Amino acid sequence: MDLFLQYMANGVVIGSTYVLVAVGLTLIFGILGVVNFAHGEFYMIGGYAGIVAITVLKLPVLPAIAFVLLVAAVVGIAAEAILHKPMKNHDATSSIISSFGLAVALQNAALVVMGPQPQRLNLDVSKIPVLSSLPTDFGPVFLPQQRLLIPIATVLLIAILYVVLRYTWTGRGLRAMAQHATVARLCGVRVERVAIVTFITGAALAGTAGMLMSSVFFVYPIVGNMIALKAFTVVILGGMGNVAGAAVAGLLLGITESLTSAYISNAMRDVVGFVFVILVLLFRPQGLFGKAVERS
Amino acid sequence: MRVYLIALLAFAGLAVAPFGIGGYETNVLMMVLFFVILAVGLDLVTGYCGQFSFATGAFYGIGAYTAAIMTRDFNTTIWVHLPAGAIVAGLFGLLLGIPALRLKGHFLAIVTIAFQTIVYLVISQWTSFTGGQVGLPMPNAGPVTVFGVTLFEFGSLRSYYWLTLAMTALTLLISWRLVNSRLGREWVAIRDDETLASAVGLDTTRGKLTAFVAYAALAGVAGVLTAHSLRGVTPDDYTIWISATVVAMMVVGGRGTFIGPILGAVFLAILPELLGKFAEYKMLIYGVLLVLVVTLMPEGVVGRLRARAAR
Amino acid sequence: MTAPILEARGITKRFGGVVAVNDASLTVGKGQIVGLIGPNGSGKSTMVNLVSGELMPNEGTFLFNGTDITSLPSHRRARLGMARSFQLLRLFHSLSVEDNLLLANHMRMKASIAASIFGRSSAREEEQRARARARELLAWFDLQDFADRPVSALSIGQQRMVEIARGMMSEPSLFVLDEPAAGLSPPNVDKLIQLVRRLRDEFGVSILLVEHVMRVVRDLCDHVVVLDSGVKIAEGAPDAVVKDPVVIEAYIGTGWKRRAQG
Ligand SMILES: Nc1ncnc2c1ncn2[C@@H]1O[C@H](COP(=O)(O)OP(=O)(O)OP(=O)(O)O)[C@@H](O)[C@H]1O
Ligand SMILES: [Mg+2]
Repeated sequence: MDLFLQYMANGVVIGSTYVLVAVGLTLIFGILGVVNFAHGEFYMIGGYAGIVAITVLKLPVLPAIAFVLLVAAVVGIAAEAILHKPMKNHDATSSIISSFGLAVALQNAALVVMGPQPQRLNLDVSKIPVLSSLPTDFGPVFLPQQRLLIPIATVLLIAILYVVLRYTWTGRGLRAMAQHATVARLCGVRVERVAIVTFITGAALAGTAGMLMSSVFFVYPIVGNMIALKAFTVVILGGMGNVAGAAVAGLLLGITESLTSAYISNAMRDVVGFVFVILVLLFRPQGLFGKAVERS
Repeated sequence: MRVYLIALLAFAGLAVAPFGIGGYETNVLMMVLFFVILAVGLDLVTGYCGQFSFATGAFYGIGAYTAAIMTRDFNTTIWVHLPAGAIVAGLFGLLLGIPALRLKGHFLAIVTIAFQTIVYLVISQWTSFTGGQVGLPMPNAGPVTVFGVTLFEFGSLRSYYWLTLAMTALTLLISWRLVNSRLGREWVAIRDDETLASAVGLDTTRGKLTAFVAYAALAGVAGVLTAHSLRGVTPDDYTIWISATVVAMMVVGGRGTFIGPILGAVFLAILPELLGKFAEYKMLIYGVLLVLVVTLMPEGVVGRLRARAAR
Repeated sequence: MTAPILEARGITKRFGGVVAVNDASLTVGKGQIVGLIGPNGSGKSTMVNLVSGELMPNEGTFLFNGTDITSLPSHRRARLGMARSFQLLRLFHSLSVEDNLLLANHMRMKASIAASIFGRSSAREEEQRARARARELLAWFDLQDFADRPVSALSIGQQRMVEIARGMMSEPSLFVLDEPAAGLSPPNVDKLIQLVRRLRDEFGVSILLVEHVMRVVRDLCDHVVVLDSGVKIAEGAPDAVVKDPVVIEAYIGTGWKRRAQG
């Protein structure tokens, strides 16, 4: 029983990263209709940016986070310019191919710049003010601060996102676009800006996830492949474009994987999610939480 | 008829090529041929039938591992492996074709990526069956015997090259016949408008499944040939990057044209050889090229030239 | 009335909360031209999609020549002799006009796919015959000069004709036309009327015709069914239906008068 709770906790930590990556992915799809196969690379870049900021530039934690966000913003803007702006008059397959091409290019750029060996961020939590004072034992569950930070940050970021979407002009513009792009445009929503903001948001969420995880797991050039697939799994389970669905599905996937590797076999951990997603796509393409729609 | 004549001349040229070039170049040519088979195969399902697949590396690997595992367990030769690889990969193609019956566009693309990843996980982790990360060794292709009489051995590079060339010619001929048959026309109809295709009485289920099977079987054949040529298999030869490479070959050459993916495969497979010490950047270049071509010239080089000529 | 070729009995189709077709029934007799009219959004196209098998009804049955086809997918219905056109034109846009027609004849071909792949003479000859027939039909529609052109090179009016020629190429016994006059100029509408009549008179095809242009309906239809919000509100001879107060009521505010006079 005690171990079970520990596995659950581990699942929540992993699941939180999936949520961060998946929410950006689902936003970009929901608002812009772009299926971003390069989203895992946002995560990878966030991880490397964190490592560079802390171990190479020797920045303290907060400026390091600012650095990661800055890098993410640049990546987001560039990705929008490549994947969204020029693709308006192209068919859907072209945008699939181009984001896939971008993913391959970014992975190999990382390979050239950072090398193939996996790297990890050595974060000395004892030096970080608030974080070092957090507890690490919760009854039978032990969570070092680096891990604890991940669900906390996820909750914070999703809360901020929610407030922004709900109560700001930009947020309304985003939601209007998600409802109906043409009408939104007619109502004065500046589509170009919305597109850029959406990509930056997606890149920032995934980049933050990458940075946070880099102190727990290794970062390597193709780390994004697996993460992106997991995020797609989550997005599909949650219903394409559904942010709340992605949050629930992300946690579910994390927990399922953690329990699978604990009680069935570690080798099955990654396969489980994919098999599940193929089944969902076949039998409930609208996602676990979506409503059925027929298109004419 | 002119097409067959040109093809015949090209193959005659390729057949005498090993006499003029060294062993390294012959190996490069052989690899070009593997990619030609892969790219033409992908074009059947994606270019003609409009069904996306990022799983070429998986079917390629399934063909290769079929050869390696059969060699280990049954001590069979390439003559058994070629049909076996095509059949096993074709069956998996059928399996992947089933989601395609219900899914379109990005959903299908995601499923094929998941399939590619699962196959990679299986061949790299199921150590007792596939050799895991280390892979499996294979002896060379062995002798050709007819009624117990050995005609010749595929031990030499040259004879194996000729076998590869003959198989390439055969797969191209089959593909050419396919796309110019009634079935090929139905594939294009499904790509253009699936609803309309079934409204005019076409069985879209049959159309999509046959396209997937043909694609997967061709990749399986390429896999068998590759496994024998490399004298073994390792999982890292059959990753999603192979899928990406083949997509790039097809897209750069021109989706839905016959000659486009062939030229794309030749160009992109030889490119790293021309890059010298920059060859390690080849995947980076493929990625960038994919983005550029699909953005600026989505119909590919051959597609663009055709459109020019038609005007 | 002649024996029915198509019978729709108590058809209901819901999209989420919307009931697009509500317990509607209609019958097309052999050799008849039956009109299906109604205001915008009244469920006509939905009915067409249900008849052709692109959508499946929630309730009700379809009989075709007396056999139940309710659960057949659209390609099976096409093979039984049902052809259709689409409200928003649909053609295989990367293919030539002739190939568009040829595809509609694939299901009638006897040679096996394998024979076609191996280029056997039986398959080649059959295809040659189909191509000849496609050319004949195109000539009938005055489109013979466009046979080798890509369909995208044709005007909207010509593309509509290709759609109808395509339907005829499949040798149908029932042809379902969804607003064939949409987007046609008045002279072309006249041509269309003559054409549809000839389809029936010369080829013996029964026709289910969805149409907004009342002139077409009055000139062509033997019988008219009126839908409003998915419910059948009237049926009968065209002239009687047009005067029916219930029908006029349904159309008020949706430009009925303008259309009735058009
Ligand atoms: N796929 C669908 N999903 C949801 N609602 C639909 C769908 N197709 C049609 N509807 C709804 O069903 C109703 C009937 O639509 P339909 O297209 O059948 O009308 P129609 O009579 O053909 O109209 P028009 O004259 O404009 O062609 C409309 O309210 C429409 O919004
Ligand atoms: Mg309609």
